[in-house]
Amino acid sequence: MDARLRRVNKEIADCKNDKSSNIKIDLMDSSPFHLKGSFPGPQDTPYEGGHFEVDIVIPDSYPFQPVKMKFITKVYHPNISSASGAICLDILKDAWSPVLTLKSTLISLQSLLCSPEPNDPQDAEVAKHYTTSKRSFDETARYWTQIYAGGPLVKKMEVKEPQRDEIAIAGLEKAHVDQFESLGFERSKVIDVLRRLNYRGANVANISEDRIVEELLK
Amino acid sequence: MKVHIKHWSAVAQWRWNTGNVNHDQDDEGDVCGICRVPFEGCCPSCKMPGDDCPLIWGECSHVFHMHCLLKWLGTAASKQQCPMDRRAWVTAERKANELAAS
Repeated sequence: MDARLRRVNKEIADCKNDKSSNIKIDLMDSSPFHLKGSFPGPQDTPYEGGHFEVDIVIPDSYPFQPVKMKFITKVYHPNISSASGAICLDILKDAWSPVLTLKSTLISLQSLLCSPEPNDPQDAEVAKHYTTSKRSFDETARYWTQIYAGGPLVKKMEVKEPQRDEIAIAGLEKAHVDQFESLGFERSKVIDVLRRLNYRGANVANISEDRIVEELLK
Repeated sequence: MKVHIKHWSAVAQWRWNTGNVNHDQDDEGDVCGICRVPFEGCCPSCKMPGDDCPLIWGECSHVFHMHCLLKWLGTAASKQQCPMDRRAWVTAERKANELAAS
């Protein structure tokens, strides 16, 4: 049996035996080198209550090359691409060490959720949101946790305000969207433009309405 | 009562002296951090444990199967650092003998 397979089997078994870490590793398909890791969102963060899944691919030269990980669950976080789930974390790149394991790497992802690093972003838009208005960022991140990661409160909000979804997901204010929609622009276009211009929190004051209309007319 | 011993067989056990005093009752014992195989086993590229697949000690006191560590140091990604503490790897030549003597 090759070294990589032996080590991976051992790691999966170790993770199964460890009930205290809350980290789970499952097979994705018949290959032992394509796995699915999952862990709960950390407490006292906007990700609390969510269940986050990670796609794991183990390269041929593992453990001498870093394991490839990306989020399956959509996450609103400066170091995670909101579109692809790609992760910006040093140990997944040049700071990898062969003594790191699937479990320890997943724990590192969990702690990445606790401590975003907006100065080294994977998603520049989200990072901009994080630095301009932390409170509004937290709200969106919490909302994404509810919608995509099965966090609490999801059903209540969907029933109450079905229209709010796409606005809240983009981290925008409903009033702002309504304002430009009432000028006759399509709702989805308004959301798109406001998101692109980062029309959020304190930044709202920096962007004139003319500028937005100009963008909407493009 | 007189007992005549007609036949006996000796059984011996060995283990590397890694300098880690707490290894006896660990659940998994001491494993190489790179391949996760016990030190007393051999690295994944060897067939027989023992002198042909020795351990290697760093000045930083970390221990690995020699073959595993050399393979890691052979990759560009290693930057010649110890996998445990990322200090520049310096092999501690006489560590094993010193431990045995002490």
